[in-house]
Amino acid sequence: MSVRQLWEGADKKGWAEELNGRTKLIMLFLFAILTITVDNPRTLFLLFSVTLLLHVAAGTSIYKWRVLAILLLLGLWGSMFSQALFFAQTPRTPLLTIISPECPYLGQLTGGLYVYREGILYGAVQGLRSASMLALGLLVCWTSDPRQLLQALLSWRLSPQIAFMLVTAIRFLPVMAAETGEVITALQLRSDSQKGRSAVLQHLPYICKPLLARCLRRAQTLALSVVSRGFFLASVGQRREEWLLREKLCCLVFLGFTVAVVASKIIYLLSEQGLYFGFFRIIYDWTVLYL
Amino acid sequence: MLKIEGFSYRYQSRNCFTLKNINLQLKPGEMLLLAGRSGCGKSTLIKAISGLLGSEGAGELQGSIYLQNENITNWAPEKIGQLVGTVYQSPDDQLFAMTVADEVGFALENQGLEPQVIAREVSDTLALVGLAGFEDYSIHKLSGGQRQRLALASILITKPRLLILDEPVSQMNPQGVQSFLQLLLRLNKEEKIAILMIEHRVNELYNYFTRLAVMDEGQIIYDGSMAEAWYALTARQDVGVREPQNVKLCRALGLPRLTTDGVQIVTMIKEQHQIVGEIKARANRKALAPAMLQEEVLLKADSVTFTYPGSKEPTLKFLSFELHRGEIVGLMGFNGAGKSTLMNLLGGLTKLQQGSITLDCLPIAKALGKIGYLRQEPDLMLLADTVREELCWKNSALGEAELQALLSKLNLQQYEHDFPLALSKGQRLRVVLGAMLAKKPELLLLDEPTTGQDEQSLQEIKQLLVDYKEQGGTVFICTHDVELAAEVTDRIIVLRQGEIIADAVANRVLSDVTLLEEGGLTPSSLLEIAGELKLPPCVTIEEVQQYVR
Repeated sequence: MSVRQLWEGADKKGWAEELNGRTKLIMLFLFAILTITVDNPRTLFLLFSVTLLLHVAAGTSIYKWRVLAILLLLGLWGSMFSQALFFAQTPRTPLLTIISPECPYLGQLTGGLYVYREGILYGAVQGLRSASMLALGLLVCWTSDPRQLLQALLSWRLSPQIAFMLVTAIRFLPVMAAETGEVITALQLRSDSQKGRSAVLQHLPYICKPLLARCLRRAQTLALSVVSRGFFLASVGQRREEWLLREKLCCLVFLGFTVAVVASKIIYLLSEQGLYFGFFRIIYDWTVLYL
Repeated sequence: MLKIEGFSYRYQSRNCFTLKNINLQLKPGEMLLLAGRSGCGKSTLIKAISGLLGSEGAGELQGSIYLQNENITNWAPEKIGQLVGTVYQSPDDQLFAMTVADEVGFALENQGLEPQVIAREVSDTLALVGLAGFEDYSIHKLSGGQRQRLALASILITKPRLLILDEPVSQMNPQGVQSFLQLLLRLNKEEKIAILMIEHRVNELYNYFTRLAVMDEGQIIYDGSMAEAWYALTARQDVGVREPQNVKLCRALGLPRLTTDGVQIVTMIKEQHQIVGEIKARANRKALAPAMLQEEVLLKADSVTFTYPGSKEPTLKFLSFELHRGEIVGLMGFNGAGKSTLMNLLGGLTKLQQGSITLDCLPIAKALGKIGYLRQEPDLMLLADTVREELCWKNSALGEAELQALLSKLNLQQYEHDFPLALSKGQRLRVVLGAMLAKKPELLLLDEPTTGQDEQSLQEIKQLLVDYKEQGGTVFICTHDVELAAEVTDRIIVLRQGEIIADAVANRVLSDVTLLEEGGLTPSSLLEIAGELKLPPCVTIEEVQQYVR
């Protein structure tokens, strides 16, 4: 599978591909609210697991799984590692001393460098949040036709111009991925050293300009193409795809669940500020345990 | 159908007019080929017809454009789009959906038609362009030629009366071009669609168009029959039109008529010239055997086999060949024959799996610094802010005197401080080629360097290659352009399904019609003329000239 194919949406007709664009975007939005609201690592891990299960159910290819795994692991590891080292809140429990405060020069300079237990946990929570959204975002990207998302945005009365711009970004993801590879190859070929001919990282700072130039040209052609096909003439009603009742119900249930979670969290936070009501006791307990 | 009257346009950011007093008419069902150098205003003219100049801000616009007797100068592009369809150079840039049916049906969806009607129209339109049954295919699974047909179908579904094609065949091989043009001809005849095509490659398209218009510096300098065009362009060889080889031959031999008709040319040659004795002429020709060219082996490939991961069949099968110092070797063959894979192996972009490749007796992986590799998309190789920086990029050994000499050779002195990506297509290619040459490589790999280039740019590139060869450089050039290959290469390797089916001097390969057809190439029209004159096979004008006095 090429780099370009990796970022292309699937053309197969699975359940995930056939979901209405509105359902996908609503789920993505509500899921984002949930991951922001929830602080409990176990619940966050559960949400993260749900996104992975959705990938399994959608039949994500092995190659895409590999890429997803790399991105997720890098994100999680980066978040946990950086927070473990630089966690500034208190209380914090050092698990390991990397640089002792007594260490000449570096110790005095840094005041000691430790791996903090709370930092690891905090990093894991932040990492799980971003990992969940990354996994779900990629699922939507890999299972959606740009037209599907465009129709969803238009059906919500978004201006066609803005909707087109938003979706063009997704349309160009595969092309940009392929062209990034091409530009890196070009840089390798123009390198002055034997080592540079196979290196990738050292060329990264120079890829923006040719990519941007190409993107501008491509975007202009695509815009001309859709304009001449009457895209901006069409009325919203004409474009609307059927939104199945079961999908609407799913969205409604998920919306209700998200509202409940957010409300619980707000009620709990208010209780911490002194606005405590006895009949909300079960909500306070539920929030402490799971949210 | 289309009438442009005294149309001029100046972009807001420019001082002078890009289009100057354009007058052009197109009758219903007529086909017009519009040619001209890069940057002469062709694309602006397309924008004007498509109604896109009004959306470009406060540019200055004069004159009128009429479509079916209605003044469309100030119409919105969406409204014009219902009468005029435009197909652009690269299908990848204009396709929007994931599946073929969705892409073709997009315009009708925008018109609010019922899904059943759209499905029926999609099937009919796909059948029209030869893609029947492809409805559920992913657009990414189609070949380049199929994607261009899909782009055409996505326009045809609205049943436009005028079809504008902006260099639609510039990335196709000769047989793909013929097939696409046959399709356009059929659409023109059966559906009565007027066609306006922009293309430099007049030499490959003249058979399909009876009318040619040529633009230069924003003006139409010729608009008339294709047959008469060659006379009008005699004094204007600088306008970038790539003339057919037969016309060039007429000019070179000073024949009284400039024509593409081989029979007439043969008659004129017989009437006005003498055929020189074969033996004498042969002595003057280029050497016929590769061994006679250059003896010193620069690159040696031995039993090179390559299989892509997941593929059952190898893409390259036991290829063995040599490249000699000071030689230009062409690599030709069908799309998918393995040409790019071989180039990538030689350029060090793909790791060798089986067999060996050595350069100057070193394994290729250790000799990559001696190779310059120009890929198909030169724009992606432009990285710096000025042409000067581009040529000096990671090349501290290049002195000021050498840099100025190189700029002069590239004909880019006046652009030394310009932003490379803002130059014309030909200039951009020369900048990248110059950056390669600045490093003085021993082997230069070129992958389709002439795609989309006009005649003048082509001549400049040819000259650069010949100069480089004369300085002892070796060029391995992958191309579909038979005329270019005939003119610059010493030897040609033809690939078919990963195997070498020919490796011989250019004249011998390019005069073997069966071999060319097997390799997906179109034989030179000069071959037929040489045959009629009972000359040995000739593929270049110089070769014919050597027999004719």
